[in-house]
Amino acid sequence: MQSRNFVLAFLVLLVGAIAVQAQSPFAPKVSGPLSQRVVAYQIDAKYDPDKHSVDATETLTYHNLTGQPLDHFPFHLYLNAFQPDSTWVSEAHRDGSFRTSTFGGAWDPKRSGSNTVSSLEVVGIGDLTKQIKFISPDDGNPNDKTVFDIALPHPIEPGQDVVFKIKFRAVFPEVVARTGYKRTFLLAGQWFPKVGVWWNGAWNCHQFHAMTEFFADFGTYDVKITLPKNYVIGATGVETSDTDNGNGSKTVAFHAEDVHDFAWTADPNFKVVESKFDGSEGAVKIRLLTYESYKSSWQRYIDVMQGTMKRFDEWYGPYPYAQITVVDPPHGAAEAGGMEYPTFITGDTFWWAPKGQKLFPEMVTEHEFGHQYWYAMVATNEFENAWLDEGINSYTEVKVLDSLYGKNTSMLNWMGAQMGDTSEQRSFYVGVAETDPLSRPSYQDMSMAAYGGITYGKTATMLLTLENVVGEQVLQKALHAYFMKYRFTHPTQEDFLRTVNEVAGQDLGWYWQQAVYGTQVLDYKVRKAESVRVDWANKDAPDEKKGETFYQTDILLQRLGDFVFPVTAEVKFDNGESIREKWDGRDRWKRFVYLKKAKVLSVEIDPEHQITMDRDYLNNSITTEPQHGAILKITTCWTFLAQFFAQMLSWLT
Amino acid sequence: MADNNKGLVAAGAALVWRRQRVLWWVYAVNLVLGLLGAAGARTQLDHLLRYSLAGESLTKGFDLGMFFELVNVPAANLMRSASSSFLFALLFPLFMLFVTGGILAVYREDRKFTAGEFFAASGAFFWRFVRLVVFSLVPFGLLGAAFSGVRKLSDYLGDRATPAQTGFYILLAGATVVVLLVLFVRLWFDIAQVRAVLQDERRMWPNLWKALGIAWRQARTLFRVYLCISGVAWVTLAVGLFIWTKLPPTATPVSFLVLQFIILMQLLTRLWQRASSVTWYKRHAAIYPADSVDFTTPVPVEVVESEMVCETFAGAGPASPATTAGTWTQTPPATGQPSAPSERENPPSDESGA
Repeated sequence: MQSRNFVLAFLVLLVGAIAVQAQSPFAPKVSGPLSQRVVAYQIDAKYDPDKHSVDATETLTYHNLTGQPLDHFPFHLYLNAFQPDSTWVSEAHRDGSFRTSTFGGAWDPKRSGSNTVSSLEVVGIGDLTKQIKFISPDDGNPNDKTVFDIALPHPIEPGQDVVFKIKFRAVFPEVVARTGYKRTFLLAGQWFPKVGVWWNGAWNCHQFHAMTEFFADFGTYDVKITLPKNYVIGATGVETSDTDNGNGSKTVAFHAEDVHDFAWTADPNFKVVESKFDGSEGAVKIRLLTYESYKSSWQRYIDVMQGTMKRFDEWYGPYPYAQITVVDPPHGAAEAGGMEYPTFITGDTFWWAPKGQKLFPEMVTEHEFGHQYWYAMVATNEFENAWLDEGINSYTEVKVLDSLYGKNTSMLNWMGAQMGDTSEQRSFYVGVAETDPLSRPSYQDMSMAAYGGITYGKTATMLLTLENVVGEQVLQKALHAYFMKYRFTHPTQEDFLRTVNEVAGQDLGWYWQQAVYGTQVLDYKVRKAESVRVDWANKDAPDEKKGETFYQTDILLQRLGDFVFPVTAEVKFDNGESIREKWDGRDRWKRFVYLKKAKVLSVEIDPEHQITMDRDYLNNSITTEPQHGAILKITTCWTFLAQFFAQMLSWLT
Repeated sequence: MADNNKGLVAAGAALVWRRQRVLWWVYAVNLVLGLLGAAGARTQLDHLLRYSLAGESLTKGFDLGMFFELVNVPAANLMRSASSSFLFALLFPLFMLFVTGGILAVYREDRKFTAGEFFAASGAFFWRFVRLVVFSLVPFGLLGAAFSGVRKLSDYLGDRATPAQTGFYILLAGATVVVLLVLFVRLWFDIAQVRAVLQDERRMWPNLWKALGIAWRQARTLFRVYLCISGVAWVTLAVGLFIWTKLPPTATPVSFLVLQFIILMQLLTRLWQRASSVTWYKRHAAIYPADSVDFTTPVPVEVVESEMVCETFAGAGPASPATTAGTWTQTPPATGQPSAPSERENPPSDESGA
């Protein structure tokens, strides 16, 4: 009996211990590692708000799980991108702008940022600071110092660990490209020396480009940040301690697991708004760091976060971390807005944001949370396959926002105007439809506009168009399968395409070849829609009479672009009859002929407007009766604007 | 003074109402230019949407996405139409510059003009008004620069302040001041135009300084009148646009009427301001010679008997031989002195060469 009680007590304790572990405040909420933890970072950083700089020591333990000896290690020093002769700046300058910043003019010293390694020691080997060698694997730019390589005197064998001890200083630019300061605000992203990824049998450590984001290995982070004690701080992972140092400063410690980057933010003016989401794996704390000025947006942030997390949880898979931190950057810091780091995102809003527009904060917040799935957990190589993150995320953004705010009003429903997110994605895409294939590394795209239009817009429209072939539900299942299979790994684009093929149960190679690997443009046109009396040659034919006269109706559809895609055309007749025709689109044109006692009224390709890759919607239909509504409406407004402008000018006379 | 200025707004409105033919003509020209300005866009839209279902989402609502498609399609080239609209819009201020002399003459005489009279009066003052417009570029330019400075200041201070609204409030305050100053400059140049017509002032430079003196000393009265009428214009614009946004998407004819009502009210209020300034001048000019204006020290305006004003202006009205002939031919004074009405109103001034 006693022994039974002992066993029972032991079991209770064991279960309790497991339960405690499962409910650990650390991420993830489930026991055991979710990822292959290649790296373990321990960073002790001190922030100087006056100099906008961080002095830190970093201990990186790298587990050699590559299966082969490693005799050199590349590291990113991303803040060195913010120097006038870096590759990043030259690319931004070439295109004149980056996000919300202009780079066409002279160099603004406020944009300077830097990472300086003052000491690099390998435990068991010694000080290798002098061995640091900057490399430029992508473009050979000798002035680019965003990647350095360190050669070891002897290789690290498979299964062994190597420990790097690095002392570094990070100097932040005035906020640009997702990092930097603004007044008392700081967003510290890409701020510490970060080792490259051993991927597909080689080191993958690209220079920082204007048209790329990031790629890193999963692991654990233990980061201590010392800063003035009036600062409010938020970071990747969860806070584990907050110690008052007694000298006007405090040290806040954070811990994160199964993440591949660490970012943090601080500002004495932050207001903290907390909420939670009850997901399929328990409650997730939503911690919003915002400002008094944006009070009208606080609830909007919380609402869109809860709505988005619910849909991702239901459609694609669980969010396994204990917390998500949402940062609402201050005014003037738009460059810090709309960015994702693991368990840490930045939104954006403005103090007078009308509720009818959903761009700020709803769309931005939804989009950045989506990255927790397609970047933070399914950790794709954003240098080489950016579309697997940004693009898929843009597609899921459309699905979530449409579900939350309505298909045709998910971006705007204000002052009589509407716009859906699908239109937004199309607007990115149509202007650059033929410039670059999705499969091209994004930093090699033609321009910044092409990067945005292809990576975001083309992927979103490509997947929306694919729904016509496999069905919306099947594509949702495919994304779910892809997420569950590849989360906490580094999949390739082939992994994604294969997963969709498998779930759809068909080989979609014909589609991928055009939409992913090619630059073909999809454009279909109704070339002709005409009804002619069958007895047109008979001079003695009776007068036309509706419902009695026979007509031959000719419908001519044409494929203008090189992208072959099956389409549906809807033909409407004046007797109320409606016929849907399918065309595989393989030939350049297709004719449909009807003999009916009715005349054609209209023909429309893709009547549901689901082929969102079609570059020109305006040539998709023909009517036999003139349509005045839109013309009159726009002309009315146009006339008014011209009149108003004219009378404004006349005010000066 | 207060009694004499009483009802100036109402008197101006009554004058616009009595001479509403002016308003309708100005509106008609504005509308025609607006339609011509929109014709290019209409042609493009006709080409794209006349036999297409693509415009349905614009008809049944206003799908901004579809509108962007229209703008982005190279074949549409709506932006080119925008530049032609701009050119047509530029014609309207030129037209207004031309007819302002005629409008002020109509308001001065408060009677129906023949087309010949109207255009003769317009032509008679056109080049003087061109000179005034050129002069007006200086204060308007300065105010433009001031506004630019306010914007930079609001950006600078806003950028350094934690509350996001700071920059906006600074801009709002600065812009309000600039708008009021712009309104004052408009009043100043309106009085100069009124003086040019009512006193047949030919030398615009001295006229301008006299007008400034009047505007400055009478700012309490005239500026308030201008502000009040501008308020009507702004409220009408805001209410009109609010109603417009609430209209059903398919109610294009009603939408057209509402928008045209807004335009009509903008034009009406501008004429109302001019009519008020003419009315004020007719009431006061006789005992308020511009030559004696002290630019810096506001002094109360003496009350003038309305009969006296009427009497004063009687000679410049319809009975004038120069105007009964059907054409407005301003007779230049032989000695370089102001014409008949002006001679009665003003003592010779140093600036007039006497």
